[in-house]
Amino acid sequence: MRVEWKELQEKSFYQATARERAIGLVDEGTFREFLGPRDKMVSPHLIVLGEAVEFDDGITVGVGKIGAHPVFVVSQEGKFVGGALGEVNGAKMAYTFKLAMDCYEALKEKYGSVPEDRKPIVIVSYDSGGVRLHESNAGLVAHSECMEMFWKMQNKVPNISITASSIGAYGAQGFVCMSGDVVLANDYGRIGLTGPEVIQQEVGKDEFDASDRALIWRTMGARAKYIMGDVDFLLPDTIGAFREQVMQIAHMPMAEIAKYRHLGTPDLVEENLSVVKLAGEKGFNDSKDYWKYMGMKDVEDIPEMPQEKFLKIAKRRQRGI
Amino acid sequence: MEDNFVQNIFFSPSKKETKTHDRIDKAKKGWDKTQQDTAERMAKARGFAKPGTKIVDEADCVALLEAVLRSGDKVNIEGDNQKQADFLAACLAKVDPSKVNNLHMVQSSLALQDHLNVFKKGIASKLDFCYSGPVAADLANMVTQGKISIGAIHTYVELYARTYLDLKPKVALVAANAADKYGNLYTGFNTEETPTVVEATKFRDGIVIAQVNEIVDKVPRVDIPGDWVDFVIPTTEPFYIEPLFTRDPAHITESQIFIGMMALMGIYSAYDIKALNHGIGFNTAAVELLLPTFGEEMGLKGKICSHWALNPHPTLIPAIESGWVDTIMPFGSEVGMENYIMSKPDIFPVGPDGTMRSNRVMGQLAGHYAIDAFFGSTLQIDQYGNSAAAVAGRIPGFGGAPNMACNAPGRKHATPGWLKASREDGMRKDLIGPIDRGRKLVIQMVETFGEGMAPVFVEKLDAFELQKQANFPIPPIMVYADNITHIVTEEGIAYVHKCKTLKERMDAIKAVAGYTTLGLAADDSATNKLRKEGIVALPEDLNLSFNDAKRSKLSAKSIADLVKWSGGLYDAPPRFRNW
Repeated sequence: MRVEWKELQEKSFYQATARERAIGLVDEGTFREFLGPRDKMVSPHLIVLGEAVEFDDGITVGVGKIGAHPVFVVSQEGKFVGGALGEVNGAKMAYTFKLAMDCYEALKEKYGSVPEDRKPIVIVSYDSGGVRLHESNAGLVAHSECMEMFWKMQNKVPNISITASSIGAYGAQGFVCMSGDVVLANDYGRIGLTGPEVIQQEVGKDEFDASDRALIWRTMGARAKYIMGDVDFLLPDTIGAFREQVMQIAHMPMAEIAKYRHLGTPDLVEENLSVVKLAGEKGFNDSKDYWKYMGMKDVEDIPEMPQEKFLKIAKRRQRGI
Repeated sequence: MEDNFVQNIFFSPSKKETKTHDRIDKAKKGWDKTQQDTAERMAKARGFAKPGTKIVDEADCVALLEAVLRSGDKVNIEGDNQKQADFLAACLAKVDPSKVNNLHMVQSSLALQDHLNVFKKGIASKLDFCYSGPVAADLANMVTQGKISIGAIHTYVELYARTYLDLKPKVALVAANAADKYGNLYTGFNTEETPTVVEATKFRDGIVIAQVNEIVDKVPRVDIPGDWVDFVIPTTEPFYIEPLFTRDPAHITESQIFIGMMALMGIYSAYDIKALNHGIGFNTAAVELLLPTFGEEMGLKGKICSHWALNPHPTLIPAIESGWVDTIMPFGSEVGMENYIMSKPDIFPVGPDGTMRSNRVMGQLAGHYAIDAFFGSTLQIDQYGNSAAAVAGRIPGFGGAPNMACNAPGRKHATPGWLKASREDGMRKDLIGPIDRGRKLVIQMVETFGEGMAPVFVEKLDAFELQKQANFPIPPIMVYADNITHIVTEEGIAYVHKCKTLKERMDAIKAVAGYTTLGLAADDSATNKLRKEGIVALPEDLNLSFNDAKRSKLSAKSIADLVKWSGGLYDAPPRFRNW
């Protein structure tokens, strides 16, 4: 089916397919997919297990442009095996990062240093529950390859994480998502290491009721994460809104972008531990306790109110120790 | 004092009446064994109630049950695919099987683990029921192990009917929202089957025990009069309700939208379907959401879909708000819809107290006699058009769908669609001559492949295998082929009622069965002939293309959109939220 770029800008990010997100996040007509469905590179492991496969293995990767910036896009499809990462889609993801680095090096060689308006950018639209258990070893290797590339990209290629699709960023993809430089979300985005059902299974329904989706969102959802400072930009649910935000980030110098980073230095480890300590000291049992502690009123209404109003009243954790 | 005075003057029996009463009492001897038996049991049990009331403490419930029950009793635990008397079910599973055993459970649904535990512990041995959705696999296991002996699997009204004749419950365990100390019950939005169960029990001298969410001084309205209720037990937790009829628009696929669009043009509009029922599938949810958009574009507003025998589906909110809907008669309620319903008394059956009363029997009756069309979905359709939801290793039962997904041969009032369907009927004249008989439309809307890519169209239903496994006298078929008028798939519509022979019917089914083995056997020339005769319509015959079936056509694309449409009055249950 033909996809109209202009229609995509208005389309709900949450409801868009991985491919629609990838196409809509970059300038009109610029997206080129690597190893698309026509290449039929499918998971060899799923075939052996007699499971259904997808010709793109549940991921869309490619390159497009925003202005003069080459933009490398990785977009996960949660509708296929929960977006979980296996050997093929994992390799597609990691090697897209590698191409972004190669592009950076090539530009550096050509111009002496990479021009600000041409610096390559990486966007990952997360929609994944983590490792694909059918091929878990390969999936874990893919995760470590991604993390290695993130390390290499640091302070060179801006790395933008988006969690705004139905599965969110869970399991190993939870920490990969948080390892990006900047995290963008709509109201539906989620980030977590352990999924709600697994938490319930391990520690019991009284501790965490996985059928209570309101509880899930106020614990792991975008508004909670925005207040905690884990989500940097909370956006309206259109692909266009996300593209606008990516453009603004692209205009920032790398040093500025790096300030948003959440992980990866001893200082940031200290900062994150201080949050854990605070939660222990104050005995927070629910996000609502933290919201009250931050001085917000009507905490019951926070998940319900329109996003615009929320952005006005939200009191966020101050970053830095 | 004053009460007695009034009583003595106006209501004390005359001498003549007293004499008649004495004669009746004498003649009753030997004909009132049930009354005597109940009186004996009640004499022991009454002590559990707080003095001057019918209220029994939660902690005494198991002992109360042991006092009123005798081995071999027929017992009805209220519960269907929505509401559950779950506390009483849990208590029944705790009675001592050495005191009470071999009960014969007569209950609409087997849905809770405690329902199974009653059998696992040997408290009950025989079961007559309708629906077992969530525990269908466990039930099949227990039947194979001989732990449960099934009398029969019924449809809802069929089982209710039998509780008034040959399956009379001795004890009924029901659920209500509130009670007063006299036992008057308020059953509210989810009244469902409580009145039917209580009446079947109380008017055969049985014992009625109700779990209630709270005891109040005055109930908002009396749904069940107190003298039909023997004990009320206030519980810590409210009784369980399953939000079975909530479909998240986010999960509706373009293929389902396409099926919905075809049905709207080829059936709803073609037969002027005003009064109807919808199943709980995503195809019908898609239709509900297409009414204010695609339906309005096609000029169908006011012509179709105004009267519904239907639970308060949240996906119907946009159509209601857009003025499509005149009347809804529900079987039950739907969790989270309460405030919205209260704001629409013109549409829902709202009582003088301002809250809705549902009634499963009356709803089913409306769904049998007062609708022109049933639109549903199923797991399997065979080469003749029979359909079933039972697959090997699972006994899900029937619920209420077959009461609506069938022709109503006793119906006498005519509507255009009902007449048209009968005039088109290819086999009618051979049976009854050229008479306008009328016929309800029964439509199956399915994708050719279902969950896990299992083919929906099969040569032989799994139901036959299950019949063998469980030793049933008949295969558990949900809707028989002779009731079906239309089958809609993403490939097109088969107007199977128009077929003149079984062979033709089988060809029509193959024509819309897509890439299933059955569909691959379709013969192009036969299909083309059927198209010419109007027995098969492909999308192009309806001027529709899959490219038009876009999610942007849905009037609501998420649960959050439905909340918005309702003006914030729909309170989506926690499990459906993503905010």
